[in-house]
Amino acid sequence: MSNGSANTPSVRVQGVHKSFRRGAEVIDVLNGLSLEVQRGEFIALKGPSGSGKTTLLNLIAGLDTPTEGEVWVEQDCISHMTEGQLASWRTRNIGFVFQFYNLLSVLTAYRNVELPLLLLPLSAAQRKLQVTTALDIVGLADRMDHRPGQLSGGQQQRVGVARAIVTDPALLVADEPTGALDAKSADEILDLLVELKTSMNKTIIMVTHDERAAGRADRIVELQKGQLVST
Amino acid sequence: MRFLILVFDNLRRNIGRTVFTALATMVMVLVVTCVFSILTFLSNVTSEKAANLKAIVTERWQIPSQMPFSYATGLAEGGGYEADHVRIKPENSMTWSFYGGATDPDPKKRSNNTILFAFALQPRSLLEMMDGLDDLKGPERTQLEADVKKLQETRNGLIVGKDRMKNLGKKVGDRMTIYSFNYKGIDLEFEILGEFPVGRYDNAAAMNIDYLISAMDAYPQNNAGKTHPMANKSLNLVWLRMPDQPTFQQVSEQIMTNPAFKSPAAVKIETASSGIGTFLEAYRDMIWGMRWLLSPAILFTLSLVISNSISISVRERRLEFAVLKVLGFRPWQILMLVLCEALVIGTLAGVISAGGTFLLVNYVFGGLKFPIAFFPVFLISPQAWWWGAAIGAGTAFVGSIWPAWSARTVKVAEVFAKLA
Repeated sequence: MSNGSANTPSVRVQGVHKSFRRGAEVIDVLNGLSLEVQRGEFIALKGPSGSGKTTLLNLIAGLDTPTEGEVWVEQDCISHMTEGQLASWRTRNIGFVFQFYNLLSVLTAYRNVELPLLLLPLSAAQRKLQVTTALDIVGLADRMDHRPGQLSGGQQQRVGVARAIVTDPALLVADEPTGALDAKSADEILDLLVELKTSMNKTIIMVTHDERAAGRADRIVELQKGQLVST
Repeated sequence: MRFLILVFDNLRRNIGRTVFTALATMVMVLVVTCVFSILTFLSNVTSEKAANLKAIVTERWQIPSQMPFSYATGLAEGGGYEADHVRIKPENSMTWSFYGGATDPDPKKRSNNTILFAFALQPRSLLEMMDGLDDLKGPERTQLEADVKKLQETRNGLIVGKDRMKNLGKKVGDRMTIYSFNYKGIDLEFEILGEFPVGRYDNAAAMNIDYLISAMDAYPQNNAGKTHPMANKSLNLVWLRMPDQPTFQQVSEQIMTNPAFKSPAAVKIETASSGIGTFLEAYRDMIWGMRWLLSPAILFTLSLVISNSISISVRERRLEFAVLKVLGFRPWQILMLVLCEALVIGTLAGVISAGGTFLLVNYVFGGLKFPIAFFPVFLISPQAWWWGAAIGAGTAFVGSIWPAWSARTVKVAEVFAKLA
């Protein structure tokens, strides 16, 4: 669990600009965006296509760096880290849940969840404990030896969530986690995310087009043309 | 360890591609192993030794070399004068005369199944001077010693290699008459006393020189007093063993300055490696091509095959590499993952291929039958085991470094942006 001063936001995005170059053209995706997310808060990022919500998510998750501005996650200013530093930082501090699960098809559920732990100085016993705990939390302890091809979409996404929480990160980012699921499976995943927020005080930032999914969040943040329009 | 297991798991992703890449590697490593073995052997036999060297004495101005047999004793003693030279003798010597013929007197019926070429020599030379037999050990040595003893006692005996014996349709104990074509009129009856150990003499035969000499001596009695045309030409080669280069230089001078060896046939002496090198001049272009064209071409092709296979794999797995980066894998770890996959395929395939070639060629097929000069077969060098690993690993590394670098530089945001 991540504890710190009650008033210090878990995530601070300050005056962030992000541009991409496409040939000779420069495309401004984010324009001086600022956002704070409190510890243990569950926010949903909404907006039309091209509004910059995935770009914002990538900046917060340390997958990209802003053209201008700063991004702080807990005490770390990640906007000035090198690629190698970000990779190392992500292992310990971020859990990422993908829309299409993105599990490695040659690995079992157990070994998919174990992947991030291979980068940490843990013994085999410690890795086993953390993996089985994570799979327990998502309710798939009895499926740990199954490969992704042997799991349903909902089960695969739960393995994805287990992989995201196995290193006990303070922050979970989810990019359309219910986008590829039926209604029932989507509800199960959302229940899981809410449970993680409530019982483990995880900060969760979720990009979604789904109104029902957004309704489960504590706060909805709406983006348009790279700027916040409502929160 | 987990990393290695991840590497092996990734190789199982597309079994077909992995297997075909490995097979292609094995085929090309097999060819390169054979080529390297031939080149290594030729390099060894043509490189000058500093000690325990053998010299060849042959006729200077003619091929084939045909010297009078009367030269044999003098050459074996180093050819020195008694008078004012310090005479240095070689440690050992061996004379070769080549007796060739067929089991059928009709020239039209000559074939591989009827022809025999025999080294006519002192039987003890087989144990003391013959390359590949003088260093035999164990049961093979014991058997050869017994066969050589029989050959000393039975002048019309023959020791024959297994392939030659098979072609002639004979076995140990059989008798046959050889109708000679280089010693016309001297047709000899032989008894097969033994078989050469499996290896380079599979197609050879050895007879007692005394049998040939006594037949030559008896020729005038049955031919109106005429000497045989080969009477003064029956000595083809003399081998001399010397301990070092200075001794060789001295013996060489002794022989070359002795007028006894100038007529009827002038002689020359050179080290065995030099002599073989001269003989191989005719194959120089082929050997050059094998070394500098064929081998590099195969290695380059192998690198391309692996590069192609790994490139396809990397292109298919861009999303997976992006996910690994999201999870915290560093760029160099992604690079190592891809490199290790290639190295595992290349090294394993290389070792299996080269090792398998070594075992199959040497112990099942009895050597590579690649006719260069007078070498009937080439054996795969024991170094093949590490050649295979080195070739497989080296070409895998070269072939995979670019796709591995490409995998390393996968941009996470770009990959997921394309998906979105």
